[in-house]
Amino acid sequence: MASASVAAPSPAPKQEDGAPPEPPAVNRMDLLYEKCAEKPQGTVFFQRDLSNMQVAETMGELTTLLQELCDRHLMKLMTFDGEPCWKLRSKEEAQKLLRLTPDERLLYHHIDQVQSEGIWSKALRMRTNVTQQVLTKCLKSLESKDLVQSVMSVKFPNRKMYLLKHLRPSEDIAGGPWQSEGDFDTALIEAISGVVAQFIEQETCTKVPGNWNDYAPAHRIAAVAQKKAHVQRVRDIEDAPPVRPYRPPMHPHQTKVVHKNNPHYPTAASVAEWLNAKEVIKGKVVREADMDQLLEMMVLDGRLEKISGTNYRTVLSATDTKVFNGFVDAPCGNCPVFDLCGDEGDISARTCIYFGDWLATESEAV
Amino acid sequence: MSYSQRETPILAELCTFLVEHVYGELAARVFSVLARFGRQRLGDLSRASYLNGRQLKYGLVILIQQHLVFHSPADAKYMFYEIDWQHSYALVRCGKIAKLVEDRFGKKAANVVSNLLTLGHTRIADLKEAYFPSHTDSDDESDDGIVNGVGLRKGKANGTRLNGAVEKINGTANGKPTDDEDAKPATETLANGVNTSKATSNPVKVNGVSKETTDRDTTDGSEELDDGSIGSAEELHATIQLLMERGWVMKVEDAQYLSPGDLHDIARRQAADEIFGGIIPTGTKDKDKLAAGTQQHKRRIRDAWLEVPQACTRKRKAADTDYGASNKRVKVNGGYGVSGATSGNNEDDLVVRVNPEKIAVAMRTEQLVHLVEQRLGYTTARIYQIMLRMLESNLARCYEEYPDPPLADPEKAPDNGIDPRLLVTTRDVAKQTKDLDICEGLDPHAIAQITKRTHVEKRTNVLSQPIDPSTLSHDERVRIVHKHISLLSEDPFHFVTWHTRAGYSQWRIEFDEIMKGLIQHEIENTIASRKGALGVKLIRALRKKGKLDERQTCNTMMMSANDIRGIVNDLTVQGFVQTQEIPRVERREAKHSIHLIWYDRQRAREKLLHDTYKGMVRIMQRIAFEREKVQPLLAKAERSDVVGNEAKYLSKGELEALKKWKEVEEKLLLQLFREDDLVATLRDFIGPLVSV
Repeated sequence: MASASVAAPSPAPKQEDGAPPEPPAVNRMDLLYEKCAEKPQGTVFFQRDLSNMQVAETMGELTTLLQELCDRHLMKLMTFDGEPCWKLRSKEEAQKLLRLTPDERLLYHHIDQVQSEGIWSKALRMRTNVTQQVLTKCLKSLESKDLVQSVMSVKFPNRKMYLLKHLRPSEDIAGGPWQSEGDFDTALIEAISGVVAQFIEQETCTKVPGNWNDYAPAHRIAAVAQKKAHVQRVRDIEDAPPVRPYRPPMHPHQTKVVHKNNPHYPTAASVAEWLNAKEVIKGKVVREADMDQLLEMMVLDGRLEKISGTNYRTVLSATDTKVFNGFVDAPCGNCPVFDLCGDEGDISARTCIYFGDWLATESEAV
Repeated sequence: MSYSQRETPILAELCTFLVEHVYGELAARVFSVLARFGRQRLGDLSRASYLNGRQLKYGLVILIQQHLVFHSPADAKYMFYEIDWQHSYALVRCGKIAKLVEDRFGKKAANVVSNLLTLGHTRIADLKEAYFPSHTDSDDESDDGIVNGVGLRKGKANGTRLNGAVEKINGTANGKPTDDEDAKPATETLANGVNTSKATSNPVKVNGVSKETTDRDTTDGSEELDDGSIGSAEELHATIQLLMERGWVMKVEDAQYLSPGDLHDIARRQAADEIFGGIIPTGTKDKDKLAAGTQQHKRRIRDAWLEVPQACTRKRKAADTDYGASNKRVKVNGGYGVSGATSGNNEDDLVVRVNPEKIAVAMRTEQLVHLVEQRLGYTTARIYQIMLRMLESNLARCYEEYPDPPLADPEKAPDNGIDPRLLVTTRDVAKQTKDLDICEGLDPHAIAQITKRTHVEKRTNVLSQPIDPSTLSHDERVRIVHKHISLLSEDPFHFVTWHTRAGYSQWRIEFDEIMKGLIQHEIENTIASRKGALGVKLIRALRKKGKLDERQTCNTMMMSANDIRGIVNDLTVQGFVQTQEIPRVERREAKHSIHLIWYDRQRAREKLLHDTYKGMVRIMQRIAFEREKVQPLLAKAERSDVVGNEAKYLSKGELEALKKWKEVEEKLLLQLFREDDLVATLRDFIGPLVSV
């Protein structure tokens, strides 16, 4: 089997015990275990690391000790680049493993190998060659013993993936931060996109009160000139009087939102960085790709718009009233029986109740 | 078949309604026969209808005068008639056209154009006659002015076939089957623009309605200065001249009556004569060459229509200075008969009509401005309007209907660069912003940065020293306008595109891309109204990603499959979303197939266009129904003794009912014109979108 441990062994500095006493042979095994347990969790031990611990006196004895530990499931034998290496298991885990049936142990072994990627039950059966009944039974028992867990894959929604209980399923099968239990976490997405939209609006837009530029009304000369022009009914473009420009009606208290002058348009990376710094989502880190997905979705939602390749800004609309277009604003555009409507017959323009409502006139009774 | 000439049953129905509405029953009967049976000879027409030859000819004359039918070239063996769908549909636009002209050239020009629309194509002399009837003439002769002019054209175009009808056209051409004696007054009222006849009632109404929506559009202030009546023949000439130079009015040529098929044949023959000496080649390469040559000839034929005749140009220079001046008017009023005689040389024989392609260009301008107003605010929209109108006179049409076939290797295409007439500089725009509050709609920081006379209060964003836009220096004005234009260019629609740094900054407008966006925008609008934000989200997702299966759709929209399925189904039923099933195993089991959904903009566009036509038909039918309900009352109100004395003769209830009917009709017509805007967006601004 290929290398099971992905991580390269940490360069553990050799700890030289000053004067190793001669522990009794029975406890050597415990001692070796203790010594290994001192290292950071998950460390992978090679033979030379173990021999450097100077617990065993000869290489032969070390092998026996290791064999013993493996039999008790306190150690796990693996290979890295064709070289044997070992990893420590906790005592509780070992206890549980001890009580497994051989079939269960086999399955456990295979599930263990895939680590957080998880393995599909069908693939598991292919690898182990056990019957379906045995497989189901063993997996059930493993689950009940809290050794493995099953997760629905996001990529293949009908596949049950198995992995060890203490592992977090990888993004491949559990999805990014936006998904929980194989489905999109709508509430979370809603909340986060609200926060993000607010952030982007802050970055790209600015609020302007209605009276931001409250210049004085047109002065007298202009008014006179305008009046004169009006009376004469002629006006040369060249000597046009300084007519006060037309101002759309506005209310001094109404605040408008306009696009910022020289804004720094946020990108997926910058928004992700901001969001992570804020620690809005507990215990999860949003990567750039996740943020990209969210921002793209918000573009589809019409909350953001894309400026150039990677930059986003808020969509502003200058008018509040929502009119669609000539067709759908008429009754026909949204008519549920549009396709049934004919020139004559029960459903026609003459008998249409929607036209009747819209125009407040009587339609022909059918 | 030509893209624009494809018709659908529903369009045929709509156009028949329009013809009936505007030109009455006879024309509509002939039109509907042509609509149902397609390309017909006169004999076939009479067999297919219950009309006799005389009636048919009257009907055809109206239709031909208004350019609603094509006919074969005069030298053809058989004369075929065929409906011109584009022009037939354009009947709905009459009022809009008058409004567009008024915004740009003032009321006088609008008056001339709406008369041109009512009369169909017209000899300039006849138009003059309509405005300034020569009193020395007898009634009959002044009628013949119009009639014969038309008749002569007919005679040339159709040989002798229609000559019999010529003498009677006057009544019908004015949309009013009147006797000869009545024709004269009818023409007069028409010219003064207060006509209430059936033919012009449409444009007049439209003006009233559309003004409400667009009255904020300030033109160059000429509205107050001219009251819309043409004072003299000189003025009329000058107005027509101006309209011709800007491409709004063009001369009438026989080739305009050729159906796309005939035009193609002729252009092809010309191309073959020119390139291969009259022999139709057989090789593939030569065939391609011929196709390119054909398109080129079509363009050449069409572009010739827009040329302003030489005589007019010379005349224009003379008339240029006194256009609108009052001292000349007095003189002319004294003896316009003489002046008419002096200026009335060969140009009086010129037959002119409104150029429909220009109308589309102007409608495009209006719609773009409207869209910008929604997205970026009033001031920016006005600045965009200035830019677009500056370009308008240089844009003959929205898109090239007869493009060169695409080259095999697009890289090799000669890079001609861009026509400098299609560029606008910020400086030129800034010159026209005198009566705009150009500071509005921008970030106060930008104003502060440019003017340097003020600063922005930290928390409130209020300028410490207000800036009156009328006191800005030219340079500041240019820089502020530049800010607005930058907003336009940054928008995802990319309303303008930066070109060079000439004139502070020089911009071009990439209409094709914007129009694709506009079509998409309208489709999304439709879906938003029907299905809400979720439907729009789905369409956008499909548009961005192409064909998707269910899981990919969920991932893109970040929603669960259950939430999406319903909407996918609804949109599929409505024809906006297409589905596809690809078998993965040989037995084609549904369970093992890949189910894809996708969105095709061209299909959605045509579906929506078709639905809109249908919606317009329903509105026309409803108008007819509503009118039917108040018919007795209307008959009473239209009596000559009642008109003007409504309060005296009609009871309170009747007046109420009349008012109600007017409101209903106005509402329906307004909606009809808004649907027409949608049709223009979907159909007229860009050719078929071949690739998604």
